[in-house]
Amino acid sequence: MWETLAQAVINGLLIGGIYALVSIGVTLIFGVVKIVNFAQGEFVMIGMYISFFLATQFGIDPLVSLVVSMPVLFLAGVLIQHFLIRRVLGPNDMPQIFLTFALSLLLLNLSLMLFSANYRTVHTSYSDEAWHIGGLYIPVAKLIAFAVAMALSGLLWVFLHTTDLGRAMRAASQNRDVAMLMGINPNRVFAVAFGTALALAGAAGSLLMPFYSAYPFVGQVFVLMAFVAVVMGTLGNVMGALVASLMMGVAESLGIQFVGADSGLIVVFALLLLTLAFRPSGLGAKRGR
Amino acid sequence: MTGDRKPSAINNAAPTKASRTKLNRRKFLVKTGGVLAAGAFGAVPLRGWAADPINIGALYPSTGSMAQIGVGCVAAAKLAVDMVNEAGGIKSLGGAKLNLIVSDVQSDTTVTRTETDRLISGNKLSAIHGCYASALTLIASEVCERARVPIITGSSSDQLNKGRTYTFTPFARASQFAKAQLQMAKLVSDQAKVAVIFENTAFGTSTSNGLKELAPGEGVEIVMFEPYSAGFTDASPLINKVKASGANTLFSLSYLNDLILIVRTVKQVGLNIAINGGSGGFVMPDFYKNVGKAAEGLQGVAHWNHDVNDDAQKVNAEFKKRTGEFAFEYAGGLVAQTFMLADALERAASADPKKVREALSTLDVSSGFAAMAPGGKVKFGPDGKNVYGCPVGVQWQNADLASIFPKEDARAPLMKT
Repeated sequence: MWETLAQAVINGLLIGGIYALVSIGVTLIFGVVKIVNFAQGEFVMIGMYISFFLATQFGIDPLVSLVVSMPVLFLAGVLIQHFLIRRVLGPNDMPQIFLTFALSLLLLNLSLMLFSANYRTVHTSYSDEAWHIGGLYIPVAKLIAFAVAMALSGLLWVFLHTTDLGRAMRAASQNRDVAMLMGINPNRVFAVAFGTALALAGAAGSLLMPFYSAYPFVGQVFVLMAFVAVVMGTLGNVMGALVASLMMGVAESLGIQFVGADSGLIVVFALLLLTLAFRPSGLGAKRGR
Repeated sequence: MTGDRKPSAINNAAPTKASRTKLNRRKFLVKTGGVLAAGAFGAVPLRGWAADPINIGALYPSTGSMAQIGVGCVAAAKLAVDMVNEAGGIKSLGGAKLNLIVSDVQSDTTVTRTETDRLISGNKLSAIHGCYASALTLIASEVCERARVPIITGSSSDQLNKGRTYTFTPFARASQFAKAQLQMAKLVSDQAKVAVIFENTAFGTSTSNGLKELAPGEGVEIVMFEPYSAGFTDASPLINKVKASGANTLFSLSYLNDLILIVRTVKQVGLNIAINGGSGGFVMPDFYKNVGKAAEGLQGVAHWNHDVNDDAQKVNAEFKKRTGEFAFEYAGGLVAQTFMLADALERAASADPKKVREALSTLDVSSGFAAMAPGGKVKFGPDGKNVYGCPVGVQWQNADLASIFPKEDARAPLMKT
């Protein structure tokens, strides 16, 4: 019993790390640029395809291809912010929603056209490996993904708290108008925020590749959990999104283990509803605000 | 002729009445003679038509979500037609060649209906084959029934054998697959304890219920019966449950992506369990490419396999040469189906679809490419079902699919995992 429970928690935490990379991106964009990026999942998909093609064409390990997928998607983020998002930032939310939603549809169908609906997997020496400790097992590929995801989240935290640009981003996230009055260049901050968020999505894609299949709809699977985590961890709160993602992963795993294999998401959404009922602004909100 | 009489009535009093009548008779002769001549000329092409190609319609999804298998089917259909034509075509029709008319049904039921209609109305077809996916074949079959054009298919839905007279299914039916799977569980252990996991969709639910109903009769104990939501991110919790159930065989009724995750997770857990992945994507060359070595020893069921006999091996070698992959079940089955059509055309000595249907309904073969199926014989019952049709149990061995069940069709021993 305890073994099963421990294993379920381990499984949940490991997949929660991947959810975290996606949700931190969503929450970062929402916090700083104040728009909801519906296309975040599609950038995970692009990250996966980048790693897939680098692995199959050049034999590069998906984890190594992180150094390609992250900069490529960072650049893509900066360009998308500069040429698309910047033009719809205004008092009206509708154009922003339509823009990111359209971007999601466009990327999805473009990848269907280019790559077809086939599942693509990459084999690495550690894809099927697992460490066995007592009665428990830890899949190596997932553990690496979790560790790198946590390291990247930590780096982001350091960046946000110790660099000028990071502080500017946090300032813009807390109060955009005052931040601008203090001389912060919003376009630069927005571009870096969008780029960073997409780079995280790209990282998630590369980290997934050793143990998950790439296909055009793959982003949708992860973005759902990411949105739940973003809401639960308070919109715009990076640490909240991280903690909520790990919780979602564990809740889903426990739900499958102890309620039913088709009930994982039911437990996740029940948890979300409970959170919203007792702490409407999410877990990451400061009390009395 | 009324037009001719009128002027003669006007010229009634004229002395040239006789010559007029003669002229009319000549005109009459010319006209009727023309008709007769046309008939006579018609008779010549009637013989000539025999050497005209015989049109066979092929309905497959070569675009859309089912395209991967659909494209392979088209390649097999072309190979089959080439084989028939190179062997001299249809001899009773003066060596007429088969002409394949391929139509893309785009993995879509609506498109399937319009494309089948268009194919039939736009061409003089003798028969049709398609669409591999049961959901599409059911639609195409309805259209063919109405238009009275025979359709022969490898699709396994039992629905195709209900109330249809122009639909022929030479291979095992879906209901037979479940039974074969249960019997295969007994190959692994005399005390078969099976865990059934299935995605909570129409496909998963109906197939799993079939297994549940048949299990007691086959002496198989089902120790776990669990639906899951398709498209999960992590199979570990599910496999944890399988481990706890104490099963020695796992039936996974899943689509490819989930199945890959399940297989990999079983290996990571180090769980010693025989996995039967059923049919569909599991018995396709792509499955091995995706899963790699972890696929070794995995079992499944198919309606055709390339090691079933020497003819099948020949087809497999040629298909491999053309596409680089081994002939998967639908591809090989399609070659056999084309030869069944050729056999029917030969005996019908006519390209008329109704006569082809008649000839198909009396088909009875036990040798040659047309009989290249598990069981080795083809003869259609009144419901269009091959009375000898049975599935073949297969296992991934050394990156290839080997037939291991039933005994009569087994070409390799079961590899213990």
